[in-house]
Amino acid sequence: MSPQSLPLLGAERTVPTAPFLGLSTLWIQITGTWCNLECHHCINASGPRAPWLRPLDGTTVRRALAEAETVGVKEIYFTGGEPFLHGEILPLLERALEIAPTTVLTNGTLIGPEEADALAAMAARASYSLEIRVSLDDTDRALNDRVRGEGAWTKAVEAVRLMRARGLLPIVTATEITRDEHGAGPGMYERFRDFLHAQGVDRPRVKIMPVFALGRQPASGEPPLAEEDLEGFDRSVLQCADARVVTSTGVYACPILAGLDGARLSTGRLTESFVAAPLYHPACVTCRRTGMTCRNS
Amino acid sequence: MPEQLGEYRRIAVFGGVYNNWLALEATLADARRRDVEAVFCLGDMGGFGPHPDRVFPLLWQGGVLALQGNYDESLVSGRTDCGCGYTDPRDNHYAAISYRYTFDRTATDAKKWLGTLPRHRRLKLGPHRVLMCHGSPRVINEFLWESATPSGLLRHLMDRAEADVMLCTHTGIKWHRALPDARHAVNVGVIGRPENDGRSNVWYTVLTAGPELAVEFVPVAYDHEALAREMEREGLPAEFAETIRSGWWTTCLENLPARERARGKY
Repeated sequence: MSPQSLPLLGAERTVPTAPFLGLSTLWIQITGTWCNLECHHCINASGPRAPWLRPLDGTTVRRALAEAETVGVKEIYFTGGEPFLHGEILPLLERALEIAPTTVLTNGTLIGPEEADALAAMAARASYSLEIRVSLDDTDRALNDRVRGEGAWTKAVEAVRLMRARGLLPIVTATEITRDEHGAGPGMYERFRDFLHAQGVDRPRVKIMPVFALGRQPASGEPPLAEEDLEGFDRSVLQCADARVVTSTGVYACPILAGLDGARLSTGRLTESFVAAPLYHPACVTCRRTGMTCRNS
Repeated sequence: MPEQLGEYRRIAVFGGVYNNWLALEATLADARRRDVEAVFCLGDMGGFGPHPDRVFPLLWQGGVLALQGNYDESLVSGRTDCGCGYTDPRDNHYAAISYRYTFDRTATDAKKWLGTLPRHRRLKLGPHRVLMCHGSPRVINEFLWESATPSGLLRHLMDRAEADVMLCTHTGIKWHRALPDARHAVNVGVIGRPENDGRSNVWYTVLTAGPELAVEFVPVAYDHEALAREMEREGLPAEFAETIRSGWWTTCLENLPARERARGKY
């Protein structure tokens, strides 16, 4: 996928927008679309070769964090790509935790005993909660690895075990990509909770996300939102109303659309992006319909 | 014209009654013994416990100055859920049981009274300008947990509210942060259920004016065993009664940040 694959908008069409209410959630797309995995459903088609969105340098991240602090940011998220490929991920997480509770979204495959030790020590000394979100799309190894690649399940599950053994409570995050494989069995939350209990993870934490029709997923063909689709709908619940994403090519309205031209709100400072966000993409329909958020809760 | 603010020297503040009329009775008795000039409740009268209608006479006779919480707002507006925003079906299952139970057993006049309650209150506590809210000053059901509420956000919220002291509840666990600029944020806790620490008591807060604001968290022991038995007789989930007896939260855990979750048993 490239930013050029944006749907063309008819010149006569007015794009609805979400108001900007203030920066509550700051996303740092630390590794751009650079990842060691190539998941079939990746929203931004991340992978190991020639990322179309380049990683961020530490200076840009620190500047964005400082800007966010001055406007009263509530929480900070690091995503990618795979954040643990970034050489400065640990010091940048540490800096973010001086400002606000911080979450890192990871596939878990690069978290071994040493990294788990470092994260546990960081969480213990931080002023605010450190959250680690580990992506796992299925409790079944084969079903998971069919989507996420051979070996991904084993490494992610081991990362969860390693972190739990050190007192951390990672949030296992799944999409509904393999939902149809499970027929009328227990619901996803229940299946993941039972699975984690069986792995010795007490206090299991699970987050389920819908699959978005972008990135490596085929386009839905759904038309984007029109004003009439939003009548009577409270737009302030959309995450683009109080979130922004800092990337190497600018500041974007939401983590789903980060890197896409139509969602870019600033090519400079974070505060310049504090304007209404266009709900131009078919993915905005998914947010409107499901009420989903990329935040932890 | 400038707003006329009530002026106080010493007040008691609690949140989240959650139908726990026995804890409310004990809290009001305790507050009276502590020479407070007024008692405030930051909202959420219903949910979780038994006999929703028993809390209202106590609040009214006790002269409690109350705010509307998200639970109250839901009851008033006839919403089908408590407005806590859970996504986990297990949390929603339990939340729905207590919401339906409470909705059906809250009298119309009580609902009407809940509908009259303000969402914020301002007052003066000695020299301190106090803002009271349920979740946060900006959103009625925003969770302000200790480990997930940056000091920068607190400064931002209090700047906007022109307040020196912000009092909130909603999460169910108390905390107090004194900022370097001498402003204070206090989550006053709840009296409806224990705070996930393995102890059966609940907590409220006494604030006393002075050059320095004094914030005292007060533990309240009450007949929790009697409440748990009432919950069982009313057919409420065993998990709720377990929380009342053990002090550990068993449901509605989804929104807890890592640090608060790690302190609990489940």
